[in-house]
Amino acid sequence: MSKYSLRICHLYPDLLNLYGDRGNILAFTFRAGLRDIETEVVALSMGQPFEKDQYDIVFFGGGQDAEQNMVRRDLVSVKGPAVREAVEEGRVFLCICGGYQMMGHYYQEQNGNKIDCLGALDIYTEGKKDRFIGNTEYHCDLLVNDPVIYGFENHSGRTYLGDSVRPLAKVVSGKGNNGEDGTEGAVYKNVIASYSHGSLLPKNPELTDHILTLALGRKYGEDFVLEPADKTFEEIARKEMKSCKK
Amino acid sequence: MGSFRVGFAFVVAGGIRFSLRLLGKGATALPGKVAIKIAPRFIWEMADGRDIITITGTNGKTTTTHMISEILRNSGYYVATNVSGANLASGIATTFAQERRHIKRAKRKGLKLVYVLEIDEAAFAKVAGDLSPKVCVVTNLFRDQLDRFGELLYTRDCIEKGLDLTDAKILLNADDSMIAALRKNREARTLFYGVDEQSMTQNNVTNVAMAKALPASSDAEYCLSCKRKYDYGARSFGHFGTYSCETCGDSRQNPQISVYFDPSMSSSDPGLPLTFQGKGFSVEGVLPIPGSHNIYNAVSAFAACSTFGDIVGDSDLSPEHVALALSQVQPAFGRMEKIQVGDKSFCILLVKNPVGLDRALSMVASASDAGGIYLLLNSNIADGTDVSWIWDVDFESKTLPDQLYCSGERYADMLLRLVYSGAGTDRIRYAAMPEAFKMFEDALDACAPGKCLYILPNYTSMLALREFLVRKYRLKDFWR
Repeated sequence: MSKYSLRICHLYPDLLNLYGDRGNILAFTFRAGLRDIETEVVALSMGQPFEKDQYDIVFFGGGQDAEQNMVRRDLVSVKGPAVREAVEEGRVFLCICGGYQMMGHYYQEQNGNKIDCLGALDIYTEGKKDRFIGNTEYHCDLLVNDPVIYGFENHSGRTYLGDSVRPLAKVVSGKGNNGEDGTEGAVYKNVIASYSHGSLLPKNPELTDHILTLALGRKYGEDFVLEPADKTFEEIARKEMKSCKK
Repeated sequence: MGSFRVGFAFVVAGGIRFSLRLLGKGATALPGKVAIKIAPRFIWEMADGRDIITITGTNGKTTTTHMISEILRNSGYYVATNVSGANLASGIATTFAQERRHIKRAKRKGLKLVYVLEIDEAAFAKVAGDLSPKVCVVTNLFRDQLDRFGELLYTRDCIEKGLDLTDAKILLNADDSMIAALRKNREARTLFYGVDEQSMTQNNVTNVAMAKALPASSDAEYCLSCKRKYDYGARSFGHFGTYSCETCGDSRQNPQISVYFDPSMSSSDPGLPLTFQGKGFSVEGVLPIPGSHNIYNAVSAFAACSTFGDIVGDSDLSPEHVALALSQVQPAFGRMEKIQVGDKSFCILLVKNPVGLDRALSMVASASDAGGIYLLLNSNIADGTDVSWIWDVDFESKTLPDQLYCSGERYADMLLRLVYSGAGTDRIRYAAMPEAFKMFEDALDACAPGKCLYILPNYTSMLALREFLVRKYRLKDFWR
């Protein structure tokens, strides 16, 4: 038996499963495994209540419009209050693209119609016609050893940050939150949100380790230290991303 | 050939094709492109009065087209078909730009001319009306190059639009809820094909624990009209199965033509016995190309040929004969054809999207001759520039061969995918694209006698590899 373990909640995996977001779960499991930390992945979907004390990390990905509309209703009406409480308590979340948008106040469609979202994050999103698609590079100050994040974005929403959240990173290449203010993603307490697919975490092991540290620190005490672990293959992928940039 | 414009377009397209071929070029799209430019109604006029079968859907188009063509060739037809991959309006127009030659050849050999056309889903909305096909086969709807289409439902809308511009008999996959929904308002001209419920096995998962912990992505778990999760009686793979929605009562339709096989037998090895069943018949055959997805391609090809036979009143296309002809289809290069090299072999399975890779991995995982897997990944425009889909594929639940290789321009992404699947880094060899061919030779050397090296490239990495293999092993290029 391992001394440490983490329970990961995968929100709506049967509906939000686009652009490789599943790889983020694999990244948690893989890099935790390198430290002999056990992981258990729990799928939570439509109609099931969110029991916030059950999970150390919550992952919330993106999907197609039809699926996201279904999820949004369930999120707001079934899981809403518990998720908001969990966020305020400092539980660890990773939210990507549609999951990121749905954590905000609202999503405004192109025709001006405002769709209420969860309001757990002080952000809002406006839908636009043209999509931001392509490889991305960001600079993230949270990651001390190697601040570069590589990703792939594919979104038509433009997200704007309120005063109580800060951006996850600065855009080096690509569009990020809205293509205007040079910001990418958002951080609020222990919630990390980003537009990066790709998957985000496999190519950014520093970020994986950062999130694991947050979750383990919360569970086993602030002084928990995550041992360094091999990242040879992650570095190969990062080197290729760096050199293939046009 | 009605108008002067079309006649002129025909001559110009023929000239371009001839010149390109002289230069040793493929000429699969440009002649048609120019013909349409000169005469926008080129396809409509050329297709007028012809017997045409179309095949569209996200996966299995090429193999199904190949199977239908081979069955018909075996039954007294001269088959004109578009070259694999040239499945936009330009490629179809190019096929018609050779019409005189087709007619002449068919006549000389005393054969009936039929067009069997593979059509891209988005192009289908535009060209189906011009073609007025007799039979439209719709294979399935899986995610494919989402950075091009955006959404799966948009793809289905394209197919729907195309179907409504024809009065063809429509053949739908009963087991695909997304496709079966296309029957609505078209019931009278719809026929379903599918796999017998007793033959459905779920995903041939070998690592059950891992499959439970992180289920593979499925494209249609919920009923789109009432947002309720489908109940499944039995499943074959992906979202294929006997689905039903408790809220609206929509459920899998009984296929008029179905295929039965023993689910305890592997579809990864050649010669799986198949029984095709329909109204008034039950005929035996074998699966000509291994792989569970090819069972679907086979039953759709069977349904297409026998339905076409009914429409044109051809008794040569009886169920018995179609099943026999189907059983004799040879795989095409790049689509499972095994190339023997000394005492071992290799074969290529083109994989372009999550379900394609999932099925290929599943097939290799249970193939008794698997001596290694070689994955190649590029991200050019024709491949889709986004490679994130490799993370949507369930590598975790499958037991892959010991020897794993990866290359391509995005080899590092595939390498990381393999490592994160828990494959164990000592089993994996990798190389950047310039060394891909050298590593292929090493991989073949390392393959045990009697075994097969399975190569799984995506589109442009296959083109590069194909060129190398055609040269090295003096193979007949399947593109021509």
